[in-house]
Amino acid sequence: MWRMWLLFDPRRTLIALFTFLFGLALLIHFILLSTDRFNWLDGPHSAKAAQMSSMPAK
Amino acid sequence: MATELDTNKSMSGLTEPEAKEFHTIFMTSFIIFVVIAIIAHILAWQWRPWLPGPNGYASLMDGVHYLLPTLA
Repeated sequence: MWRMWLLFDPRRTLIALFTFLFGLALLIHFILLSTDRFNWLDGPHSAKAAQMSSMPAK
Repeated sequence: MATELDTNKSMSGLTEPEAKEFHTIFMTSFIIFVVIAIIAHILAWQWRPWLPGPNGYASLMDGVHYLLPTLA
């Protein structure tokens, strides 16, 4: 496996990897924020969704 | 040609010891990253599982039985 670093320049590889992982993380977090169930900041958007998916403390 | 490869000139410009050294650092960092990601996924699954099952997410909510008649 280590021979891959004879083929790929480590600096370029690391920059590409970090850029890709950062972009993927940003994408996933924004997708989650756009959903009702997985928005950890505001919770569900609509009242109906709030009734469906949140668990109100009685 | 072979001597040129042996001395310094790989496609990336690294020598074999350099490539091995970088590989150990890279794999260590990668394994640490994967372990942190696994822990994060376990915590996120405990917070809210993301595979709803055949009856939707409502079937996953234990203790919210008072909502079930309105859903059915």
